[in-house]
Parts: sequence; structure tokens; C-alpha cells
Amino acid sequence: MIARSLSPAGRGMSGEARQDPLVESVRGGGRVRSPRDLVAGASLVALAAFALWAGADLDTGQLRAVGPGMLPRAVAVLVGIAGLGLMVASFLKSGEALGRWALRGPVFVTLGVVAFGLTIRSPGLVVAGPLVVLVGGAASPEVRPRELAVFAVLVTAFCIGLFRYALGLPIPVLHLPGIFTL
Amino acid sequence: MSDLVPNLALGFSVAFSAQNVLLAFTGCLVGTLIGVLPGVGPIATITMLLPVTFGMEPTGAIIMLAGIYYGAQYGGSTTAILVNIPGEVTSVITTLDGHEMARQGRAGVALGVAAIGSFFAGTFATLVVAALAAPLVRVALLFGPAEYFALMVAGLAFAVVLARGSVPKAIAMILVGVLLSSVGTDLETGVERMTFGWAPLSDGIDFAVLAMGVFGFAEVLRNLDVNERRDVVKKPIGRLLPTRDDLRRSVAPILRGSLLGAALGILPGNGAVLGPFASYTLEKRIAKDPSRFGRGAIEGVAGPESANNAGAQTAFIPLLSLGIPPNAVMALMVGAMTIHGIVPGPLVMTKNPSLFWGVIASMWIGNLMLLVINLPMVGIWVRFLEVPYRLLFPAILLFSCIGIYSVNNSVSDVFLSAGFAVAGYALLKLGFETAPLLLGFVLGRLMEENMRRALAIARGDLAHIVQRPISAAFLALAVIVIAMAILPAVRKRREEVFVE
Repeated sequence: MIARSLSPAGRGMSGEARQDPLVESVRGGGRVRSPRDLVAGASLVALAAFALWAGADLDTGQLRAVGPGMLPRAVAVLVGIAGLGLMVASFLKSGEALGRWALRGPVFVTLGVVAFGLTIRSPGLVVAGPLVVLVGGAASPEVRPRELAVFAVLVTAFCIGLFRYALGLPIPVLHLPGIFTL
Repeated sequence: MSDLVPNLALGFSVAFSAQNVLLAFTGCLVGTLIGVLPGVGPIATITMLLPVTFGMEPTGAIIMLAGIYYGAQYGGSTTAILVNIPGEVTSVITTLDGHEMARQGRAGVALGVAAIGSFFAGTFATLVVAALAAPLVRVALLFGPAEYFALMVAGLAFAVVLARGSVPKAIAMILVGVLLSSVGTDLETGVERMTFGWAPLSDGIDFAVLAMGVFGFAEVLRNLDVNERRDVVKKPIGRLLPTRDDLRRSVAPILRGSLLGAALGILPGNGAVLGPFASYTLEKRIAKDPSRFGRGAIEGVAGPESANNAGAQTAFIPLLSLGIPPNAVMALMVGAMTIHGIVPGPLVMTKNPSLFWGVIASMWIGNLMLLVINLPMVGIWVRFLEVPYRLLFPAILLFSCIGIYSVNNSVSDVFLSAGFAVAGYALLKLGFETAPLLLGFVLGRLMEENMRRALAIARGDLAHIVQRPISAAFLALAVIVIAMAILPAVRKRREEVFVE
């Protein structure tokens, strides 16, 4: 077990990280030795550039009276340096391949959460709840639509009972503007 | 020190009120449940339940949230032993010998020793918190902005070393966290920073939203990637009470584990995570027959489990005395306190003594509850593990969405968290740890505020920060810690610890 597999919830990131890095670097022509770190570094550089651009109008001030722009700018530069460092190192030290990026999971989970956001105010949890369960639930390749549909209704009913009535949170359960509000 | 007894008496009188006992009970129960369920951590749960505490009285709210936190550590080890899946990071090490014991039909004894060790460690840590908090508060009152700034730098340095994986990447994550924390209205000048005129960003990014995105949702995505195999032990759990021989073997590891865990838990930068690893390494090293480890050695359960629980509690010390949250869960506690108008820091003890000591006393009560409630209920917890993940995660998504929405009754928070979920998944795939990012975010604002204040006091003289003895010591500590992490010899050692 390598260190990284001791991940937050503890379950290992088995699978994608297991490819032999040496094999990968040979396949990559021997120039880029750690494709993952190259992309990681490039992302940091891009983030730093974006932050510098986004904060370009902020006043840096002086040490005596630090302006709102000093810390973001300084930190963005440091992020950029860290990114460049990673990029350079990725040519010198062999590391892991980029691995397998799943699309299904991120797409459906994000869509589910966004769908919840779009419907929670109106029509309310009655629609938003089943929506996030159904759309998000499709993220798993093992999804069983009929089972999930029943589960969506049950879990939404449970949440309405728990959060709205037992705990008293002001969540809109059913809100149809001008017609009906629960 | 002489105040300790009356202070604890005050604490217990608060914590033993019917309402607070009930809240501690609820917290422990919920905590154990989420600790047992893989893929739901204390961070996501506390975020979900944060809105529920808005209507509560602050002491009760913190007592319940604290219960969730240490209850989760406890539940995490139950799954580690029975299913070989650590419910929480801190119970990773328990899978080694705990699960092996379960395979040998000694699951009950493993659970029993874990419970006894945790209870002892919890009691010890409660006393440590009670004894150390007051003197630390006195020290903290001497701190100026320069000292606070330097202390936080040291905390972040520790976070770098304690993060798993590559040091440069951990440093980068902390910086990104600090950068994200600067989004929003600048407190001193009122200028909007990097908000693009989007109103929901002008108050800055809510910590709960960021945490739910990069920790909660991204965790779900990561679990979906992995084809999980649950190795539930089919053998009966067996007797819970350890034999006399088991106890004899466990006493010393429990004592050492408690000490190690308590000491590491105090470190700013989430030292609590390191406790179980350190304890296991130590036990293995001093054992007469190290080859027993990994084959069901009871010392390998007793030590780390005690360390784990002790660290979970002493992690409250930096929060309660200095107002500096050492990890993401504690940062959420800061949120819970500020909502009730309590600014975490040295003044809490003098201004809200009943909250301060009540929370400390409730930790001991919570530990007692965990011991009494959970052992007989192990069978019920195991049942929860039979819920398949394909149903579990949509429910987690719904709960999380409700939680995120309710924190500020804001739809844009829901959208933001979806964005952070994708970012969090990308970070995981690129080999970045998200824990240092959250810590950088949490400490970023405090650091900037204190740095600017310190510079204003010193009229822009950077040397001023370095010349003050306490802050110089903290900064030196930070440099030493980072230097050590980069040195090849230590680096190798560190990798070994995490590999175990």
C-alpha cells in the first residue's frame, strides 16, 4: 500500500493509481516522467494567472498600510511558483500516470445538485428531493431505476418529516407562487 | 491548577442538565452512525446539522456537534474491525489487527478493547483539556497580532508535514486555500476582491460550502470510482469482554496510546490524525515479537484506538484556548459558535465559563455514553452496513443539498458547492490532498487580519514580527518543521509511518 491510498474515508484509490509509473514514462517518450504532476502543476499556474487577473484592479498598498490586493497577489505568485516547480519536477522525477478519469460520476452528481438548486425555492423539496436522488443516483453504474424511484419518494418524505417538521428548518416543501404554499 | 476542581464541577453541573445530556446522547448516536457508514464523514454531517443548531442554546449546540465528532471516531473503528473498511481516516490503522482478530472469531474482544481503550483515553484527554486550557488561555492573552500570525504559520507548517503524500503539493494546497479565503469583501477597506460583482461572493465563500464540495461531494465521487468489496466478517462477534490475558497485554499500549494521542492532538494542523499511526509504530517497535502485528495482535488495536480518541479530544484545546481551529471539523465549530455571537478565543473561558467547562465535561459524559450504548448495539450498526452504496449515496446527496441550502437559505451556495465538488474530484485525481486546502482556507482570513494589524502596529517594519521572542520562536518552529519534512532522511521515515 502506498501512502496515498490512505485517503480521507480510508478506502483506497485502488485501480487507477496502480499502473507502473516506469512503463508509463517509457510510453510517454521518456520526456515527461510524471504526467499527473505536469497537469497538476499546469493547473496551479493557470489558477495563479486567473487570480492575478481577477485581482488586477486591487490596491497593493505598502507594508505600513497593507492594501486589499497585497495578500491575494503575493499568494497567487506563490501558487504559480509551486505550480512551475511541480511542472519542472515532472520532467525530472518519474511519477504516476494521469490515470482514469470517470465522467459519469461527476456529471450526474453535479447535475443532480444543480437540479436541486434550481427547484428548491419553487416548486420546493417535493420536487427537488426526488430530482437530486434520481439524477444523482444515475451516477452509479449499478443503478436500478425502479428501486431508485421508490427510494427517492421514501427518502424525500423522510427528509420533509425530519428537517421541516421535526427540526423546524425553513425549507420550502411545496411552493407554487400565487397558487399554493406548504 | 487549584481552580480545576471547581471549574470541572461547574462544567458537570452544566453538562448534566437533562437537555444537554440528551444532546450529547443525540450527538454520540448520530456520530456513531455516520462513523459506521463509509462515505459520510463528520465534516459533511456537521455541515448538514449546523442549521439545526441555530435555534439551540450555544452550549447545547456545541455539545451536540462535539458528540458527533468523537462519536464518528468511535463508529469508524467498528467498521474497521468488522468490515475492514475504516469509517474514518483515524481508524485506518485499526483495520490491520482489528479485522484480523475478527477473522479469528475475536471481533467482540477487539471491539471491547477498542471501547475500553477509548474510554480510558477519553477520560485522560478530558483531564488534559481541563488542565491545559486555563494556563494556555493565560498565555494566549499575552499574544498580540504578530504572535497569532506566527502561530498560524507554524500550524500550517505542521499541516504540511502531517498531510499524506508529496510535500510541495501540500504546500500548494495550503496556498490555494489562503487564496480562496481572500475572495469577498476586504474587512479593512470594504473593497470587493475577486468577486466579479457577483453578489453571493461578496460575503466570501462560506466554509461549509467549500467543505461540503471538496470533502463531502468529492468523497462520493471518489467512492463511485472504486469498485468496493465489503469484507463483512460472517463469524459471530463473540464475547465482548477481553480475557485477563488480553487486558494484561493491553494496559500498557492503552496508556502509551492515550499519552501520544493527547500530545499530538494539541498540535495545530491536525495532529490528531497522526496519533494512531504513531502509536501503532511505537507498539510494533517495542514489542517482543513484532511479527505478531498484522496477525491479530491486541496491542495493535488497544494503542491506536486510545490514541485516536485522545487526539480527537485534545484537538479542542487550540480552538477553546486560542480560537485557532486545528482541523476542518473544528472550523465548523467556529462557525457554530460565531452564529451564536461567541468569538472563539481566549475570552470564551472568562466570558462564557459555563459554555467552556460544560463542553469539556460533556466530552467525558459522551465517552461514557459511547461505552454504554454502543457495545450492546454493535449488531444494529452492522445492519446499516448492508445498505448498498447505490442507495446510500443518493441519500447522502439529498441530505447534503438540504444542509447546504439551509446554512444561509441560499440557492447560490448549492451551485457553488456543485462547482467545488468537480474541483475536489479533479484535485483528488491530480494527487492533491484536500485537508491542507481547508486548513489554509480557515486560517487564511485570520492570518491576513493579524498580519495586517501587526504590520500597522510596527509601521510597516517586517522585522518587528521576527524580533518579538514568541513569534520568532513560532516562525523558527515552522521553518524547522518544513526543513525536516524536506530532508531526505526524515522524508523516508515519514513515508514509512504512512505506509504501515
